[in-house]
Amino acid sequence: MKFWEIGKRNLKEIYRNPVLLGFLLGMPLAFMLVFCAAAGGGQASPIAISIVDEDLSQTSSDFIQYLGTIEAIKLNEPINSEKTEAQEDLESGKIAFYLLIPPGFEEAKQTQQTVNLELYYKEADPMTGLQLKPIIEAVGFEFLGVSPPLNVELKGTQSTIKNPAVNFYAPGIAVFGLMILVSTAAEIIASDREKGFLARMFTTPARPWDFILGYSLPFIPVLIISTLIYLGVGMALGLTVVGNLGHAFLIFFLIGLCAIGIGMIVGSLVKSESQAGVSWLFIVPIAMISGTMFTVEYMPSAVKSVAGALPFIHAVDASRAVLSGSSFSAITLDIFWLIGWAAVLFAVGIVLFRRTMVS
Amino acid sequence: MNAVQTLKLTKEFDGLVAVNGVDLEIQKGELFSLLGPNGAGKTTTIRMLCCLLKPTRGTASILGYDIAEEPFEIKKLIGVSPQDTILSERLNCWENLALIGKVHGLSSEEVKGRSQELLETMGLIERAKDQVRKFSGGMKRRLSIAMALVSDPQVLFLDEPTLGLDPQARRAIWEYIAELKGKKTILLTTHYMEEADFLSERIGIIDEGKVVALGTPQELKTNLLEMRSMVVSTENLTAEVIEGLRSKYSRLEMAKGRLRISHKDLDFKEIVDYLHSRGVTVYSAALDQPTLEDAFIQITGKELRD
Repeated sequence: MKFWEIGKRNLKEIYRNPVLLGFLLGMPLAFMLVFCAAAGGGQASPIAISIVDEDLSQTSSDFIQYLGTIEAIKLNEPINSEKTEAQEDLESGKIAFYLLIPPGFEEAKQTQQTVNLELYYKEADPMTGLQLKPIIEAVGFEFLGVSPPLNVELKGTQSTIKNPAVNFYAPGIAVFGLMILVSTAAEIIASDREKGFLARMFTTPARPWDFILGYSLPFIPVLIISTLIYLGVGMALGLTVVGNLGHAFLIFFLIGLCAIGIGMIVGSLVKSESQAGVSWLFIVPIAMISGTMFTVEYMPSAVKSVAGALPFIHAVDASRAVLSGSSFSAITLDIFWLIGWAAVLFAVGIVLFRRTMVS
Repeated sequence: MNAVQTLKLTKEFDGLVAVNGVDLEIQKGELFSLLGPNGAGKTTTIRMLCCLLKPTRGTASILGYDIAEEPFEIKKLIGVSPQDTILSERLNCWENLALIGKVHGLSSEEVKGRSQELLETMGLIERAKDQVRKFSGGMKRRLSIAMALVSDPQVLFLDEPTLGLDPQARRAIWEYIAELKGKKTILLTTHYMEEADFLSERIGIIDEGKVVALGTPQELKTNLLEMRSMVVSTENLTAEVIEGLRSKYSRLEMAKGRLRISHKDLDFKEIVDYLHSRGVTVYSAALDQPTLEDAFIQITGKELRD
């Protein structure tokens, strides 16, 4: 249990260092407060939407009235009967988007045919449109009693989600926050290498895995507490948990392990604490392409492929899915992907660390 | 079997030869010092013997185990106090000692017993529960040596154990190391002449990566030297007179108002006459024993500075 002794030492070095401890535990709190507050928190402002009713039927009128009762939506006045004016307002930036109820809406409902609704938004600002789309789909389903096959899942979830923006941002920010463990873990190893402490420990009969496990161990409580902070503060600020909270915790824990594993690799490769800062060169780009802060839907397929090969996008997608009500079976592949990555990263870390023990 | 044996041990860094074909044989229980200036190759030699550096050429063994082939076996048997006092700064003395002891496989009871003994011996027991970042340099150095000893190693490597300490702290550490003589095999590196002289049973003088002389302190001072020294107390000593002496004799030192002159076949009378002829008042003049530093200068042609 040599790793346990090294781990105990590292844990004491962390929790007796108020600055480092403050950073590790304060950062999750700060991240969630900033991003969830920016997304409106529990008292999110309703999304203002203009309506163009080309059907002009009793059903379309009832539907518009129904939309007006939804908390997350605020209807702009007046309701237009043709889209010219709304389109002009959209292009001039007066409105962010509008919903068009096309002719044949009532007939389609009565004859149980596919009902079409068109949501127009500026392509330069896809985020709000993407957030609104599931709400419209869910409301449409509830009102009409029909569901396009792809929108069946949304019905149950969107009707209970208080603030879709928070549910979008919180899991991504949690994953991004956990990615910071890469640099922290790497810096602690690099600092001990720079000060010569590792060289001293290399004269003892400890094996490479004792060091890798010993340096990872103190981050486990940090990881657990950080994850609880992300989920707890997120929920306090409007994150609606529809699915299983335990599954979300498992995903965050696994991506945290992956981050620590990468930190062990970086820490094995760099010679000084300042060099460990190199990890930011890939943390930020990977966070971007993994959808931690915005959707990856419009990224080129090559970039999406790169992100898909890495573990982070799986954690982002899976955590968003389970928090919005997906079952465990829907995220099983993501979980396996994360477990596989964690195992590979720690194995590579041990191999690289062994090489640094003698020069 | 020797406790430490090296054969043509060589280490090069990017073509720069740091250790050049060092041959050493250190017997069990011997206290052996490697004496040399900064950059002579002392620490590189120790780092190879502790299995931290791979030799470029040559071999070495510790208690029969080869440093390249059996590093894990060697690490079970050695204790190391590195040149820089490297401790876990936010741990207290007990915790630092427990870390090293337990990584060496000692039980909690064994660690506690040995730590108690070492902390008392090193005079650290009163501050044992304080985080070591609050300690003075001397206290840290004593704890570092205690950490090297907590696993009860058979071979102890002390790399510059008193570097940067005040004379009082240095003397305290010397006394403790002297107590270990005969009980442990100790390889000590130092660039303090008096330290090597006071502690060592044998000394290897190392310069530019090579061991240039080997022997007991007395052998190095007498057998190797034909040099004689004298100490003169004077008044009215001018810079011109000092330069005149320096140009004539191998070595000249000024300390505590006294002049110390060393030279092969030193002529006592000739020096006194020279000083008188230059108007210098000579209060006293006496022959002096050669020092290890005299030997070092004769062997390497250089002075050893802190």
